[in-house]
Amino acid sequence: MSGPRRRVGFAALCAGALALTACGGDAEGTGATAGDLPETLVVDKAFDLKTADPGRQFEVAGTIVGRALYETLVTFEDGDLSEVAPALATEWTVNDDATEYTFTLEEGVTFADGSPLDSDDVVFSINRVKNLKGNGSFLVEGITAEADGPGTVVLRSEQPNPQLLRILPRPSLGILNADAVRENGGTDAPDAAETDTAEEFLNSQSVGTGPYVLDQFSTSTETVLAANPDYRGEAPPFQRIVLRNVEGPTQAMNVQSGQSHIALDLASEQLAGLRGDPNLLIDEVASPNIWFTFANADPAVSEITSSPDFREAVRYGIDYDGLLEIAGDGAVRVPGIIPNVFFGALDQDQAPQRDVERAKAAVERLGGPVTVELEYPSDFSANGLSFGPVAERLQAGLAEVGVNLELKPGPIATTLETYRNGQEQMGLWLWAPDYPDPADYLAFGPGELVGKRAGWQAGAAPEIERVMAEVAGESDDERRAVLFEEFQQLMNEEGVMFPVFQPTAAVVASADIGAVPFHPAWTLDLTAIGR
Amino acid sequence: MLLRFLSRRVVATVVLAFGVVLASFVLTNVVPGDPAAANLGQQALEDPEVVAAWRAANGLDQPLVVQFGNYLVNLVQGDLGVSQQSRRPVLTDLGEFGPASAELALVAVVVSLVVGIGCGTWAALRRDRPVDQLFRVLSLGGVSVPLFWLALIAVYVFSFQLGWFPSAGRLDPGEAPPPKVTGMYTVDALLAGDLATFGSALEHVILPALVLAAFTVGLLTRFVRSSVLEVLGNDYVRAAHAKGLPLSLIVRRHVMRGALIPIITVVGTAFASLLAGTVLVERIFSWPGIGSYAFRSATTLDLPAIMGVSLFVAFVYILVNLVVDVLYGFIDPRIRTA
Repeated sequence: MSGPRRRVGFAALCAGALALTACGGDAEGTGATAGDLPETLVVDKAFDLKTADPGRQFEVAGTIVGRALYETLVTFEDGDLSEVAPALATEWTVNDDATEYTFTLEEGVTFADGSPLDSDDVVFSINRVKNLKGNGSFLVEGITAEADGPGTVVLRSEQPNPQLLRILPRPSLGILNADAVRENGGTDAPDAAETDTAEEFLNSQSVGTGPYVLDQFSTSTETVLAANPDYRGEAPPFQRIVLRNVEGPTQAMNVQSGQSHIALDLASEQLAGLRGDPNLLIDEVASPNIWFTFANADPAVSEITSSPDFREAVRYGIDYDGLLEIAGDGAVRVPGIIPNVFFGALDQDQAPQRDVERAKAAVERLGGPVTVELEYPSDFSANGLSFGPVAERLQAGLAEVGVNLELKPGPIATTLETYRNGQEQMGLWLWAPDYPDPADYLAFGPGELVGKRAGWQAGAAPEIERVMAEVAGESDDERRAVLFEEFQQLMNEEGVMFPVFQPTAAVVASADIGAVPFHPAWTLDLTAIGR
Repeated sequence: MLLRFLSRRVVATVVLAFGVVLASFVLTNVVPGDPAAANLGQQALEDPEVVAAWRAANGLDQPLVVQFGNYLVNLVQGDLGVSQQSRRPVLTDLGEFGPASAELALVAVVVSLVVGIGCGTWAALRRDRPVDQLFRVLSLGGVSVPLFWLALIAVYVFSFQLGWFPSAGRLDPGEAPPPKVTGMYTVDALLAGDLATFGSALEHVILPALVLAAFTVGLLTRFVRSSVLEVLGNDYVRAAHAKGLPLSLIVRRHVMRGALIPIITVVGTAFASLLAGTVLVERIFSWPGIGSYAFRSATTLDLPAIMGVSLFVAFVYILVNLVVDVLYGFIDPRIRTA
């Protein structure tokens, strides 16, 4: 890294009375040698980190950390979300209606402290997540976990749960050493939300089977992971991984100047300045996050936005291409509500196309140009993209067809409230997948989580709801894919949601550690770097 | 007399603290928005059990009056509550972030004092000459330029281009902090006799401190110049000149003493504002200080943290004003006996 040069400049400044030529440490302590991987990997990320307790974490930085410390029953390999691969479970069976999953655990697996893993640890970990009543509890809501001997775990649900195998790799469901957690105040009892006090312990040390262990934890400065010397798989390539809390603009300069190895939160214009740098490798793909706008279907909120003619005017009046220009070079249109990284996504040619005349005709049926409010969070950005410019471009495009948007930006803490209460006439929001299965997007249907926020109650679109009910009970992935496509086609015809784009997601890595791909489920898979 | 003065200040502090707590509590609660919505995920928010558990865990399931009463009772016992973001006691957070800001502020103020007083005095002694004009332009620039812009330029030039200073954090990546005594890494490293960590901490603090100092240097230069000019015109200074005393002695012994009162006021206020946190500079340098903590708390409606920061800032201003008042007495005996 750039230690020697730093020393020179620093010493020059300190020269004289302080004689600080001896005051410096050992550069960055990364111990990089030519041709080899550095001993310490430095990753810059703007922190949303809250905890290192898998049962309580749900944020991006927490997911990155959790993935390196804790293994799950099953996983995704090499960023491929289409197939679930073995992890702590070597094999599994699923009954016909996807209500019972039986997992066989790998034998001889030990936690970082040397104690063996068995089915009790798995049952404890899953029940604890459920009963903590935290952000990740919904992942295993309705699931009953039971041990069937020390090497077998059975997960049951009353309702079919065909998406469970794609939920289980989520690092929130990492498997903990149950005894260690219990000894430090942890519990998986039904009242765990009130009685579990293990978070402080889990913020001081990890109790997983992953390739790394927790060395230092901070939600404000940096979190440090150390190689797990007893990891049963291939030895971790880095002795230490430092995940630092650094804002986007500084990240770009750090990775370029060699002060860090990976930058994760760069905006499109920052990426443009890095392209062509021979010392950097940039993986730029479409993010699984989707940006969407909606028209509230509740006449009590707006007589205008609840009109089918208004929906048609918006659907065919949005300047999709113009919005893509803002979203960055790697951004793509999202043709339906499901992003392109999941099965069941529509092809690009199935996306609604802008049709100004059709949109204008719909506005005419409304009685001429209309004005409605568009609310969005003004203090929040994702993938380096703020809502303000997107809202303004949306406004410009729709104004051309006679739909005038009165922009109403606000702090996310307040706009989220009106959004949740279904009070926004139109809203501009994004959806980050909770787990990599298209079932997560049924939330946009009538009577579901996002649907209700758009005033779209159950019973509002019977045909769409029929498909939703059918796909929820279907366990065959091929049939599910067909049904999800049908769901989106119907949404594109009569829905109140208007998916706009998937923005650019990028990982910038220094060439000496090799290319680091963006992971569509975990953003960054620390365990895959350097292998 | 000093005791009476201090007693009055303590009473005023208690009254002020209550006012700050009340204002912070009321204002944070009248802001439209639900802390649960700002802290829980989209799916979790739809589960009434999860929302209820979160509210109960954070004491938000009680009526507002009860919440306020509980807060006051806990406050008297030194308990500022638990931050919803960091999930640690707010007092622990303040104990970590406060010294980080204090370290930055101290270095910035030391730089400001040395440069500001030097330049201001020099400019006054060379009134209307080129050096005075130069310092006028520079000091105007210092107080006018947006600090976040200056911070970005400083990172670009001194960290990215020249590679002289690190751009982020308080220590090199992965480097363990020194054993905590004051929470200021440079001081703690010295106390531990760890020169390597001291060097690392010092090179991390210099660039952000210099950026912060730009404003106070500019401010101080202008104040010192005008104060010194005012004193220079006094009879006792002219008498000192007439006696043939060397200029350096006149400045040290007669001019500076007379000019110090307004200077101390400015330095005190500037120091307090730096201690209270400078959000943008701290964020650009990834400096985990009070400013960064306040920003994160405000954007997530983290009520205990917001109130903790408000109290911290109020106490900083009270303390700094107290120190300034006491210093007045030492510098000018007329104030002490008044």
